[in-house]
Amino acid sequence: MKKNIKNWIFLVLAGSALSLQGCKDYFDLNENPSLIAKPSVNSILATVTHKTAKNSYNVASFSTYYSQYFASPSSSSTTDTYQVSNTSGTWNAIYFAMADIHDMIEFAKESDAPHHVGVGKILMAFHLALVTDTWGSGPYKEAFGKVNTLTPKYDSEEDLYKTSLQLIDEGILELEKPTAYIAMSSTLDMIHKGNRQAWLKTAYAIKARLLNKISKKSTYSATAVLAAIDKSYTSNADDATMGIFSGRNDWAGVATSNLNNVLGGWLSSNFIDHLNGTKYGLFDPRIEKITEKTVHGVYVGTRNGQGNVGAANTIHDECYISLKSPLTKDASPLFLITYPEVKFIEAEAAFRSGNPERAYNAYLAGIKANMVRLEVEQAAQDSYINDARVSVGKENLTLDLIFKEKFVVTYLSPEAWNDARRFDYKYKNFQMPVGAALGNFIRRVSIPQDELSRNSANVPTTVSLDVPLWWDKP
Amino acid sequence: MKRTLLLVLLGLFWVSSSIFAQQRTITGKVTDDSSGAPISNVSISVKGSQSQAQTRSDGSFSIQASTGDVILLRYVGYEPKEVVVDASNILNVQLQVSTADIKEVVVTALGIKRESKSLGYTAQSVSSETLTANKQTNMVNALQGKVAGVTITSTGGAPGQGARIQVRGINSFSSDRDNSPLFVIDGVLMDNSTSTQGGGASRGMSNRSVDLNPDDIETINILRSGAATALYGLRGSNGVVVITTKSGKSGRINIDLQSTYGIENVNKLPEVQTTYTQGWLGVYDPTDFWPSFGPTVAEAKALDSTHPDKLFNHIKDAYGSGSQSRNTLNINGGNEKVTFHSSISQYNHNGILKPTDFKNYQARLNGTYKVSEKFSAGTSISVNNSGGNRYNAVRYVEQLMYWSPRHDVNDFREENGTMKAYGTTSNPRYVAETNKLEDNVLRMIGNANFSYKPVEWFNLSYRLGLDTYRDNREAYAAGFRGLEGERLVSDNGVSPATGRGFVRSYDQNFVSINSTLLATFSHKISDNFSTTLVLGQDLYDRTIKGSAVEASDLAIWNWYFLNNANVINYIGTSKEKYRLMGLFGDFTLNYKDYLYLNVTGRNDITSSLLAPNNSFFYPSASLSYILSDHLDLPSIISNAKLRMSYAKIGKDAAPYSTSLGFGTYGSLPTGYIGFTRPNLKGNPNLRPEFTDTYEAGFSLGFMQGKLDLDFNYYYAISKDQINSIPVTTTTGFGLASVNLGSLRNKGVEVTLTARPVRNQNFSWESSLNFSANRNKVISINPELASSEINVYSESGYLDSRVTMFVKPGKEFGILYGRAMKRYYSPDEIAAGLDKTDKIDQNRPILIGANGFPVLDAVANQKIMGKITPDWIAGFNNTFRYKNLSANILFDARVGQSSYNQTGNFMSAFGISKYTEDRNDYKVFEGKLADGSNNTKEVWLGQGKDPKHGVNYGDGYYRLNHRGISEYFVEDASFLKLRSASINYSLPGHLVSGSFIQGLTLGVTGNNLAVWTKFSGFDPENTTTNAGSSIEGFGGMTYPQVRSFLFTLNVKF
Repeated sequence: MKKNIKNWIFLVLAGSALSLQGCKDYFDLNENPSLIAKPSVNSILATVTHKTAKNSYNVASFSTYYSQYFASPSSSSTTDTYQVSNTSGTWNAIYFAMADIHDMIEFAKESDAPHHVGVGKILMAFHLALVTDTWGSGPYKEAFGKVNTLTPKYDSEEDLYKTSLQLIDEGILELEKPTAYIAMSSTLDMIHKGNRQAWLKTAYAIKARLLNKISKKSTYSATAVLAAIDKSYTSNADDATMGIFSGRNDWAGVATSNLNNVLGGWLSSNFIDHLNGTKYGLFDPRIEKITEKTVHGVYVGTRNGQGNVGAANTIHDECYISLKSPLTKDASPLFLITYPEVKFIEAEAAFRSGNPERAYNAYLAGIKANMVRLEVEQAAQDSYINDARVSVGKENLTLDLIFKEKFVVTYLSPEAWNDARRFDYKYKNFQMPVGAALGNFIRRVSIPQDELSRNSANVPTTVSLDVPLWWDKP
Repeated sequence: MKRTLLLVLLGLFWVSSSIFAQQRTITGKVTDDSSGAPISNVSISVKGSQSQAQTRSDGSFSIQASTGDVILLRYVGYEPKEVVVDASNILNVQLQVSTADIKEVVVTALGIKRESKSLGYTAQSVSSETLTANKQTNMVNALQGKVAGVTITSTGGAPGQGARIQVRGINSFSSDRDNSPLFVIDGVLMDNSTSTQGGGASRGMSNRSVDLNPDDIETINILRSGAATALYGLRGSNGVVVITTKSGKSGRINIDLQSTYGIENVNKLPEVQTTYTQGWLGVYDPTDFWPSFGPTVAEAKALDSTHPDKLFNHIKDAYGSGSQSRNTLNINGGNEKVTFHSSISQYNHNGILKPTDFKNYQARLNGTYKVSEKFSAGTSISVNNSGGNRYNAVRYVEQLMYWSPRHDVNDFREENGTMKAYGTTSNPRYVAETNKLEDNVLRMIGNANFSYKPVEWFNLSYRLGLDTYRDNREAYAAGFRGLEGERLVSDNGVSPATGRGFVRSYDQNFVSINSTLLATFSHKISDNFSTTLVLGQDLYDRTIKGSAVEASDLAIWNWYFLNNANVINYIGTSKEKYRLMGLFGDFTLNYKDYLYLNVTGRNDITSSLLAPNNSFFYPSASLSYILSDHLDLPSIISNAKLRMSYAKIGKDAAPYSTSLGFGTYGSLPTGYIGFTRPNLKGNPNLRPEFTDTYEAGFSLGFMQGKLDLDFNYYYAISKDQINSIPVTTTTGFGLASVNLGSLRNKGVEVTLTARPVRNQNFSWESSLNFSANRNKVISINPELASSEINVYSESGYLDSRVTMFVKPGKEFGILYGRAMKRYYSPDEIAAGLDKTDKIDQNRPILIGANGFPVLDAVANQKIMGKITPDWIAGFNNTFRYKNLSANILFDARVGQSSYNQTGNFMSAFGISKYTEDRNDYKVFEGKLADGSNNTKEVWLGQGKDPKHGVNYGDGYYRLNHRGISEYFVEDASFLKLRSASINYSLPGHLVSGSFIQGLTLGVTGNNLAVWTKFSGFDPENTTTNAGSSIEGFGGMTYPQVRSFLFTLNVKF
């Protein structure tokens, strides 16, 4: 008996050893159970529509300091004073989003989902514009695994610009296809709820923005801008917005943190003075819908680079981003591009093309629509718009006025800094920050540290941050 | 409770001692026949009876025997001796040192027992006595300074905090690959990972060998070379720590009760300034963010009568004293057929950073069963439950940097219980009290083994082991109470619900099964030749599952339940499987017992690589030549041995390094599922990496054990290193799995053991371990060669971040940072002499037109130091005088640097002692760009200087000093008095006759002194967790402690 047991054990052990060796499947564990091989195009649509709005916020969260809507409560803050700052987080978020967009486009092509392809191309164009408007050049042709490399080459600023325009045109063609085997999900499309027509309007709005960006170039065509405008937004309802958050609107998050002494979202004296009558002698009622008065009952901003002055941070004696503003409430959506902005693009293009009437009408419509968006009372709207300093008459309209009014409309938009650079910062009394590290206004952001260390061979030569980008010079 | 236990035990003993009443008690003493020194731990047994005993530290013993019985005495290194009991009750015995004392048997790979002399590689073992001399509760810490070639880093002083162990330097480039050796306990692979789930990375989590009771360990054998670990296969490629736990011996039941109580405090703190108080630009403000850029204390007092007379030393105040207690009970015994060893222990530790703590309950039962002469079996099982409240030491120190010494950091609660602070600053003590992470680990390690030896030349053995644990973590933070004047605590919440509390639950299930089958054949070919062949199969199967729920915004501020949270921030589960099988053979040829050749081969099949790369073979060969057994050597040399070996070892990838796919996008609210690319780019074409190791060495023994020398040289090249490295996100991924390149390690290890005095009353044993390792990155994957492979980095102000880059042709572990520019003449610049990443310390510093040193461009990263030491050494001394024994252990690590991020903050916030010169005038020594010497006097203060009215802005420390990494990457070389202990054993005559067999009282001091230039906390500290291979970042850490432990040990 005892001997039998021993033999039995021996056989089992030897047998199990041999059988495991033969069992190849046992070692075939390549498929990571925590990942799936091919998600549906709509589930990627959810990701990319959400990420696009977040990235618009991400870029604006520092460029609003350059356009001096915001100013840091700390003196000599890196961003305020034009020091080299590390924007790796935003760069990485943008490229991760573009990789997802790229995958969605590829999967959509395979599964006869042209509308997903179209939306993908428009969102890709939107992101490429964020990249080139912020850092100048960046990888695209070799990015996201299109070329099997761990160090993708950089596309030039001009190429990125051209690619984004081309992507818009391709995207429009795809969106114009009437049928798709897979339709866009109305819940997972977080921007336009699966509405193809709305996406087409947004495509043209972004196209107009892109075409208008090269206003310093000889190739600038106001006609082309206006042609895109014609197929674009007609009311505030058309805006490309995204309002689905885990938590709350990111700007509302800044406001909440600030109230909780994690400081941020302090409005710049440049912006406050723009609105409160200091610069123009005219009180803009939108200020009441953007921020709140200080404890002293006035509107006071913080000078860029100077930091907090007056009482301690806990005393609210300056103005901040507000949880009461229709733009920055907990449930407010994030904006990609809006009807008022489109109106101001129209105003500028019409003005440049020598059509002051169209320009003037668009200018007034833009202000009006923005006031409606900000829920300004009718009477206050009227009194501001009808003021002679605003309703100057078409013959008195100037580019300065258009840029002055557009500055209010593009609050919290990354496009504002593009405009500031196109306008060479010629807003009234726009000052250099206190203790600026540069002699001139900032024109670009340095390529992020992550790129310098991980893709150094391809990163373009470092230039001073006051060197204009490709589109920012003639 | 303890008293009841003791009474029960006493009762038990009274009964059992009466069983032997017909015999009588023989007492005596065992000494060395040449020196007369007492010999402790000699095992004494009565032939043909179950009576057994061990000598105490003074050599005395007592045993039950009758006249005519034969008493057998055995001790390692001595010839065994038999003595017949006569009429006398006193028996003094002298033992003779064994002439062949290296005939010691050591446990090598897979539990194969070999005569030490036959080994063609080094295997240094640590005895239970040496291991437990300094009463460390983490066995990795307990090894510190006691073994050559092994670097052990205690990452910080938190209760239960992990310790890092590395054998022969760093073997892998990336920080997330395990560089620590394989742990094998009684033949079972034991997980020693450091889980960072739930944000544990900066909370000093335990490495999992903390689960092992060091008192259960009989020996630890460290296998360092490739030839030694070859049979363990790829899992052993970083070396192997072979642990053998105690087993019972046949004879009487031994009971051993040990109680330890200890107290501790901080061993080393950075030096702070005592002159300047809160404010900015010299303007006092008791609510200001800036902790120390205000006026002097006297000036502030004139403005504010509530200002304290002296500034607080808030860094010192933030740490209190800690305490620990530990009780262990061992019972072992057995008879000819069955033996057992059992233990139970309890450990309780309260740290210096309140309220961190750690508790550990451990129990073990080992048993052996000899069924017949041919068949034997054994089992062992250990269960433990450990965990405690861990705190984020990085965050704590960071917040201390923001805290102004004008305020008492320990006065952190308002009367209503909410945080007391000032301005917008949080009180770090309050945050620590209200923001917790508690882990709770329940672990079981067990094995069953069988050995069958049907004939003399054949043996079959099988072992099945299980290592499983559940690591449950709860993190929670107090919410907002809505009381009048209550401050929101930003750490205690998740944006957007900042300060509104959170509750998080994490769970990790780890199961590994390990099966080993060995067949051993022995054959004596002739009188001169004998052979042994071992064939085997080894299987390792591991599954790790995890789940996490993170929720925030508590409805009731202190009710830490998930169902009390308004927002779910994250829910997720994870799963990972890994399987590995090895088939191997081990052949030994023995020629005349003085020449041994050992050849091994192993083929691994792994689940973490894809076919055909998943199956690979590698061999090893080693030679051992015992000169002293072959030739007649001068009599002063008692033994001499030469050894050499070669081994190739393969290594696979981390699980799923080859996989691609999509994961969920975590930023969407409930109700929306989106997919996104994962962070890691899997690589289906990964090849296994291979390490070739060459090793040669010798050991020499002089004057019968008075002096032993062991020397070793090794050279190892790892090719095709598999790493997941950070890549540009323009690839769509943050990390990529690649075969990155090759790394070389070479070094020497010397162990010198001396027993200069060994006589009746006094003995001294001294051992010195010395090792030096050099490494070099030989090559890098050509595609990535131009990139800087950023292995790890920590921030510094003004872009003075310090980064560890891997660069071909350079050493591994070089720290780069932002330097001051040095002066180069226009000709030298034209010749490109300034285009080097080395700082030429002989050159003058370049001074700008403003009179301050010029900071180099951020892109021009310069070498600041290296994380690897030039050499490490341990010096351990044991003295014995009559009943008194003492142990002193020094250890040193020399040549490494560490980035002191705390120092960077202490400059930026004006906290360091040296910033007291902030209102001085100074001419910086150096040259201007035109080559002339700088003569411009500048003011170091903020704002306008009183003498000339020049505006200096934020001042020298803010605008210049804090941006220079050179000041903060410091020499972290140290010499430590690691431990000193004194034990007093009650003389034999005081305890003989009673049921107490021995009583020892001891005092141990750990970390008693450290000599170093490092200005931060302990130079050994790292911000990286114990599982990370990254050292050299020692800024914001949990300070080390100096502890005093009092021990009472009673043997029954």
